[in-house]
Amino acid sequence: MASESIAIGRLDAPARQIGEILHDWVTTVDHKKLGLLYIMYAILFLVIGGIEATIMRIQLIVPHNNFVSPQVFNEMFTMHGTTMIFFVAMPIVFGFGNYFVPLMIGARDMAFPRLNAFSFWISAFGGLLLYFSFVGGNGLYGAGNAPDVGWFAYAPLTAKAFSLGHSTDFWTLGLLVSGIGSIGTATNLIATVLCLRCPGMTLGKMPLFAWMNLVMAGLVLLAVSPLTAAQVMLSLDRYLGAHFFDTQAGGSAVLWMHFFWIFGHPEVYVLVIPAFAFVSEIIPVFSRKPIFGYPIMVGATVSIGFLSFLVWAHHMFTVGMNSYANSFFAISTMLVGVPTGIKIFNWIATMWGGKIRFGTPMLFCIAFLLQFLIAGLTGIMLSVAPFDWQLGNSYFVVAHFHYVIVGGILFGLFGAFYYWFPKMSGRMYNDALSKWHFWLFLIGFHLTFDFMHIPGLLGMPRRIYTYEPGRGWDVWNLIVTIGVFFQGAGILIFVGNLLWSSLKGKFAGNDPWDAWTLEWSTASPPPEYNFATLPTVNSRRPLWDIKHPEDPD
Amino acid sequence: MSSMDAQPVVEKSGLDTVKLPAPTAWPIAMAFGVTLLSAGLVTSETVSILGGILAVAGAVGWFLDVLPHEKHVSVPVEEEAGVVAVSRRKVERLPVAPELARALLPLETYPISAGVKGGLAGAVAMAVLACLYGIVNQGSIWYPINLLAATIYGQSMALTPATLTGFHLDSFLLACLLHLITSLLVGLMYGAMLPMFPRRPILLGGVIAPVMWSGLIHNILGFINPLLDQKIDWLWFVASQFAFGIVAGLVVVKQARVRTRQVLPFAMRAGFETSGGAGGTRSKENP
Repeated sequence: MASESIAIGRLDAPARQIGEILHDWVTTVDHKKLGLLYIMYAILFLVIGGIEATIMRIQLIVPHNNFVSPQVFNEMFTMHGTTMIFFVAMPIVFGFGNYFVPLMIGARDMAFPRLNAFSFWISAFGGLLLYFSFVGGNGLYGAGNAPDVGWFAYAPLTAKAFSLGHSTDFWTLGLLVSGIGSIGTATNLIATVLCLRCPGMTLGKMPLFAWMNLVMAGLVLLAVSPLTAAQVMLSLDRYLGAHFFDTQAGGSAVLWMHFFWIFGHPEVYVLVIPAFAFVSEIIPVFSRKPIFGYPIMVGATVSIGFLSFLVWAHHMFTVGMNSYANSFFAISTMLVGVPTGIKIFNWIATMWGGKIRFGTPMLFCIAFLLQFLIAGLTGIMLSVAPFDWQLGNSYFVVAHFHYVIVGGILFGLFGAFYYWFPKMSGRMYNDALSKWHFWLFLIGFHLTFDFMHIPGLLGMPRRIYTYEPGRGWDVWNLIVTIGVFFQGAGILIFVGNLLWSSLKGKFAGNDPWDAWTLEWSTASPPPEYNFATLPTVNSRRPLWDIKHPEDPD
Repeated sequence: MSSMDAQPVVEKSGLDTVKLPAPTAWPIAMAFGVTLLSAGLVTSETVSILGGILAVAGAVGWFLDVLPHEKHVSVPVEEEAGVVAVSRRKVERLPVAPELARALLPLETYPISAGVKGGLAGAVAMAVLACLYGIVNQGSIWYPINLLAATIYGQSMALTPATLTGFHLDSFLLACLLHLITSLLVGLMYGAMLPMFPRRPILLGGVIAPVMWSGLIHNILGFINPLLDQKIDWLWFVASQFAFGIVAGLVVVKQARVRTRQVLPFAMRAGFETSGGAGGTRSKENP
């Protein structure tokens, strides 16, 4: 352990009334508390979205199963996808960005603290509005219907004629409202990174975490806007009889697809670039080497951000586009592999020759590297339009994007949780439980998503409620569902570990990992003002300079 | 930066309090108002009306929080010792570049142009050996040239065994062009790889690269040139690869070494003129 300095004062603070504590959290404009609120809110929805996934998988464990009705199954896949993307992944990356960007750049708070609070609360209320549909949504099947049109809600299924009642409106309005929060947070992150860096921290000396959050925030601004526009157009169609997506009246269903995917594909990078940021901070510290190729990593991140806006229609190969569009989007999709490959090589080069410590954050990062590589390779396969024509909308695609989102993003997030938990809570997590979490989740992930490729290759379409026996899908679906229970057990251990350790864990000290970025120079958890005096930095690793005055960067 | 420049990042502030933005309930009130405003579309107009009122009240309250002056609270500073300890052992340094605070190896290497020159020289050596093969084994200098042209030229593919040994101007020009471009590209790649093997260019060019290249060609030749795949004599082919590499390596060795630019910051290597651009390179004399 590098440091024994402990923030005794805050941990031993006198007990306060529950009302006082609640008031503090509700009225806070502190970026750290808001970051924690984002994260806790996302974990709650992670559990809910996980339960929805489990219900789907139990339904598919054997052919001709009737665990839930077809209507509930449709609601489950719609709510699972929507929840995981909009109310788990986005809030959680915003939470980490909120908490750590100001600390890493030596700032006292975000640029707009009140906007920050507004952004969190409106995002949270958006999620609650969506889930209120279970109670208040009078959809096709009667009172209390959640949306059931799939997470990308293709037209014309969302038209009033095919989606009666208000369940689809809850989906539209929930995302519209939470989108306001996303735009607010993105604006805040950009302003914070560009305007509040401490003295000496030029863009070239900024931690990669801050760089990647800057790129992510730019993507959010550009990507969420078309989605918001599309939601408004859909609401106009449904409420005022406009015909944007009504093919019977001169509208275009394909227009919705373009609007959705020009948001949807950059959204993947909105989520994965923060995962890159976590990995780019954890791997160097746990390899005891600076990141390999810092400028190239920055360049690759910006390139990925740029390219992410040129590839959206690869989600539409099966819709039927002309050969020029197919060729353009196939090639541009393949191009994403170049900067992404550079990143993977740079992470490996950082580990190469390093003194690697296999702590739990590093284990998750190593798994991330392997799994994200495989996810990229199946992505390259699907970028080939004729291949996509065969496997589009099959379980192969489902397996591919879960490899990205779970194998890549979620594993990166778990690494981040374990890496920064001591800073956020002031206490260390239970290492044995964290290893149990890692191995159970790893086994469960591979049981589920490795084997999910196979029924896809055998022709099993996504979103089907049940299937006939004897098509060669049975055993693979059984294995896939068994894997879900391993993952669920891992998640329960993870949540239990965080709860228990935040109360009973060993004191962590300021800098338990012997790390190099500024957040480790202040107390754990950091005081409200972050730094008593704003720091001055001279290199990319300011704490290294302090620890090694004979060998500064 | 010299060690003197490494200012402590966390130091005693001398401050008693730090001013921070005051907590406020108006953002949550406004967020709830906007949500209710939307929720009215799927519930009842009264919900929207309530939401609208709440949103406006939230906005007004928020504005009053920041106008005319932003509300702050003073948070007392808890002074803490900025203890930063480290578990790393001290190690002795190799005196490879005493003038640099931290040396990145290699300090010197060959320029990329050396690889290009080597590639061109190797091209000549390879061509000589290939022609020698044609004369010795097939009795014609044009035989290997026609085979090479078949990589990209359909007419060459159609040549019969009898005409393969004859001169064909189109095949000859295309083979020369193909050979020149490939040699140049291989030379460029060679030049780019030289910093990885700065001490043994002949080992890289004369042994490692020919073995790898021959292995690659052995696997893909059937796709890129079926005619050459049928007729190829692998002994001569590998020998010509070695000839290319050894000659290229010898030419490279004769070139002057240059100082590696990895120690320069990226902006300078990329040719940008930026303020503070030299910050990445520090010598003990010129911090």
